[in-house]
Amino acid sequence: MASATTHFPEADAPDDDVVHGGHGYATNTGISNTKLAMWLFLGSECLLFGGLITTFLLYKHPLPGTGPSPHELYDIPFTSISSFVLLMSSLTMVLAVTAIERNDLSRFRLWVVATALLGAVFISGQVYEFQSFLSEGMGYTTNRSSSAFYTLTGFHGVHVTVGIIMLVSLLLLSLRGHLPRERAESVEVVGLYWHFVDVVWILIFTIVYLIP
Amino acid sequence: MAATTTDSPVHGGHDPDVDRTKQYIVVAAVLAVFTAIEVSTYWFPKEFPVGLSTGLLVFLMIVKFVVVTAYFMHLKFDKRLLTVVFYSGLVLALLVYLAVLTTFRFWGPVEDHMVPPTNAPAGAVSTGSGG
Amino acid sequence: MTDVPAIPDATLALPSGAVPASAPAVGVFSRPKAKTGWRAWVTTVDHKKIGIMYGTAAIAFFMIGGFEALLIRAQLWAPRQHLLSADVYNQVYTMHGTTMVFLVVMPIGAAFANYLMPLQIGARDVAFPRINAFSFWCFLFGGLLLNTSWMLGGGADGGWFNYAPNNGLIYSPTHGIDFWNVGLIITGIASLTGAVNLITTVLNMRAPGMGLMKMPVFTWMTLVTQFLLLFAIPVLTAAQFLLLFDRAFNANFFNVQQGASPLLWQHLFWVFGHPEVYLMILPAFGLVSDMLPVFSRKPIFGYPFIVFSGIAIGFMGWGVWAHHMFVSGIGPVSVTVFSLTTMFIAVPTGVKILNWTATMWGGKLKFDTPMLFSIGLITMFTIGGLSGVSHSVAPADTQQTDTYYIVAHFHYVLFGGAFFGFMGGFYFYWPKVFGYMLNEVLGKWNFWLMLLGFNLTFGPMHILGLQGMSRRTYTYDAGYGFDVWNKIATIGAFTLATSVLFFIFNIFWSKKKAKDLPPPGPDPWDARTIEWMIPSPTPEYNFDPVPTVTSLDDFWYRKYGETEDGRLVRIATTDEVCQPVHEAHVHLPAPSFWPIVLAFGLPIIGYGLIFSLWLCIPGGLIVAAALYGWVTENPDDPDAAHDTGHGPGEHASGDGVDTQAELTDGGDAEAAGEADEKEAAPVG
Repeated sequence: MASATTHFPEADAPDDDVVHGGHGYATNTGISNTKLAMWLFLGSECLLFGGLITTFLLYKHPLPGTGPSPHELYDIPFTSISSFVLLMSSLTMVLAVTAIERNDLSRFRLWVVATALLGAVFISGQVYEFQSFLSEGMGYTTNRSSSAFYTLTGFHGVHVTVGIIMLVSLLLLSLRGHLPRERAESVEVVGLYWHFVDVVWILIFTIVYLIP
Repeated sequence: MAATTTDSPVHGGHDPDVDRTKQYIVVAAVLAVFTAIEVSTYWFPKEFPVGLSTGLLVFLMIVKFVVVTAYFMHLKFDKRLLTVVFYSGLVLALLVYLAVLTTFRFWGPVEDHMVPPTNAPAGAVSTGSGG
Repeated sequence: MTDVPAIPDATLALPSGAVPASAPAVGVFSRPKAKTGWRAWVTTVDHKKIGIMYGTAAIAFFMIGGFEALLIRAQLWAPRQHLLSADVYNQVYTMHGTTMVFLVVMPIGAAFANYLMPLQIGARDVAFPRINAFSFWCFLFGGLLLNTSWMLGGGADGGWFNYAPNNGLIYSPTHGIDFWNVGLIITGIASLTGAVNLITTVLNMRAPGMGLMKMPVFTWMTLVTQFLLLFAIPVLTAAQFLLLFDRAFNANFFNVQQGASPLLWQHLFWVFGHPEVYLMILPAFGLVSDMLPVFSRKPIFGYPFIVFSGIAIGFMGWGVWAHHMFVSGIGPVSVTVFSLTTMFIAVPTGVKILNWTATMWGGKLKFDTPMLFSIGLITMFTIGGLSGVSHSVAPADTQQTDTYYIVAHFHYVLFGGAFFGFMGGFYFYWPKVFGYMLNEVLGKWNFWLMLLGFNLTFGPMHILGLQGMSRRTYTYDAGYGFDVWNKIATIGAFTLATSVLFFIFNIFWSKKKAKDLPPPGPDPWDARTIEWMIPSPTPEYNFDPVPTVTSLDDFWYRKYGETEDGRLVRIATTDEVCQPVHEAHVHLPAPSFWPIVLAFGLPIIGYGLIFSLWLCIPGGLIVAAALYGWVTENPDDPDAAHDTGHGPGEHASGDGVDTQAELTDGGDAEAAGEADEKEAAPVG
């Protein structure tokens, strides 16, 4: 009965490009499975958001007489502040990753909380903005532009919310001592998702709000 | 801030010993400045050519996108495969959706959007009667 | 915090093997332990069991879709029949198409990819075993939800492509369309998570020495297919959400009164839909590319060309979608562009046909059943491809579109192509999977009857189409010359059905007779790739030890060398080269029931979206609870044996990855993100 712990010469291949993808085993590419998987997922998200952005662009102007267009109702200064908030949350996210990589767990928790809070501020800003549009006569079903606007920004908002949940999960895990430096990659991967959500907002802010 | 040395690498592809905090703050400042420039276009005079302000906005958007992915998301310092995998999705989306917009004649005057070229008279508000 | 204990206690294990100081167990339940019985299947995370389940479910759906096809053919036997009303006919052909595309061909591709690809690359499992299980259950529940439409108000009836504005509430007030929409959103989640999983596996978990250009062609085609899925499914998902919001919440995406364009649906659908058809055929191309060399006793001709043409098909497939829309009014410029791109895409496929033919040329051909089906694919797909080229000429397509000529084309490429390839794959890999061979005499009957029935059914449709018989209509008038061809097609369809019964009978007959026959052993076909060097049926741990690969067709060159004048000479016996059956102490990923629980929440949310939003709440709670349970699950059964070797092959692939997947919601982001999108009602 052969045992797997017996070493066969061919199992000891040279580890040129080894990274520890998990329990100390190597991956062919040198990138961990989880990180590669997250980037693949983010690549696919480009196609999803691209479809929603395209829909918005096609439906940007409502038919005459069907109600206000989003353009008439934007409060650019307000949305700029929201955008700035989300941008800064990317900074705090990246500081959180740096902190855990340095084993500075209390700083890590601080920055994670900051990121989640900034995200929550952003979401509140969105909710407020939607409510003001609603009161000015642009509901979800008002016209083709309103449906497209709310769907695109709503999808983005749901993504942000999911991100906040993930950040809070990381915080809770850390508070219970389950998130040491060895697990920094989990934080990095959540960070990738968070930055992507920020990057999508960079696109939305310009394409939806700013371009005349 | 604590010392930055680590005794065992926990991820491959980049060097965790380097303190990137300063770099990140500089990047964030740059992003903030670009955002301020973008927002300032809201107050450009009406006579300012739309093409120019749109171009500026698109340019800044692309720069911000690349900066966040390269620095905050670390693509510049990670293995190239990740850049390939992500950017191929992005480029594919760009090409495909630009093609879709083109078939809708999005780049022309608004009245012609989505109006099928064979049917409705020019300038008519579309009733979506194509196809 | 950095000492390495021998066996971790029931805490969250760390990538380095270290144990965090005084961290209590988080998970509430211990991992399931069943090894046999239904519990073993329901909690499995083993890619082999999952592959078998995909295949079994797909064959079951194939029976349903096939029955729907027989109903169609019975209705069309003679003009002006009323076996099915027009309304029911619409449901039957829509469900037939939707079932065959999404619940048969795609899952059989997934079945082979799941079972076979890790073996071909020398891995012990896929990158994320629990996500793999989740993908299967998701697909199954989505497919079941779709089919419950029959009992809950009627099937979807807008065609498998479900065009707007017909798919809206005004023209389709009943729920059939909703079942189509929601069911396919759920199966879409399965495909997307599967794609991330399998791509990561191929890129990251190959055996030592297996560079990308040493992988078997099937693995390459799987990689391309999964990339196509990764990027195409989200486009369909976008369209489906737009439709969902229109139907459930009165949005205006396809509301013509509000200036919406029905063409938006068509574009989004076909941007997905064209890559979709390539991802349906590529796995079969891969299987055939691996089978032909075995039965020609020659290496595949032009391996780099086969690989690169597959990649080229993957790329170019994105540029042709509007050839499904030539008569939708997109204008002459668009039509010309897409006509040209469609013509170009014939080139890489032609390269493959040439390479397959050249592989057989001068080879010592053996016409076993897998080989017959492989040659069947090459010939039938060529016919289908030729009619495809005729579609690319837009003026010609203007006559062909919406006629039976198109129906002939896609059945030749999908049935004569993909399904024949899969049949060959079933016969070829049956011994590896189940430990007994399918009977060769029955197999030949299966093949010839299937070939005859198939051509009788779909051959005449070329003529019917060119004569002008319209598709998607429940009957036709006499006097157009359609009658005799329809009768032949119906006879053909029932012949096809008989051939399928031969296949099913073969399965049970061969299993019964296997007791009296010698076991097939690891390598019954004298094959070329490394999955044939392990016992049949495949042991749970796959390889022990993981081989180091030195060339393409590595297994072949362990068995055979060449003399100076180029003749093959056997240099090692099967026993010397193949791995013996033995009890290996390999730590494998532990089973889990969270994948099926998580998947179970989705159709509940789905029914909520169709019938009553209140149902979304319990569905959402199940999803949330399952996610929490998944993330906090104990990584392993602490009593299981651990191997302590370090190095690429020694560890069970699932170990550390499971742990990462647990802790990192990021690993589950796709599941979480999509699931949460469904539970959050849109604003406004």
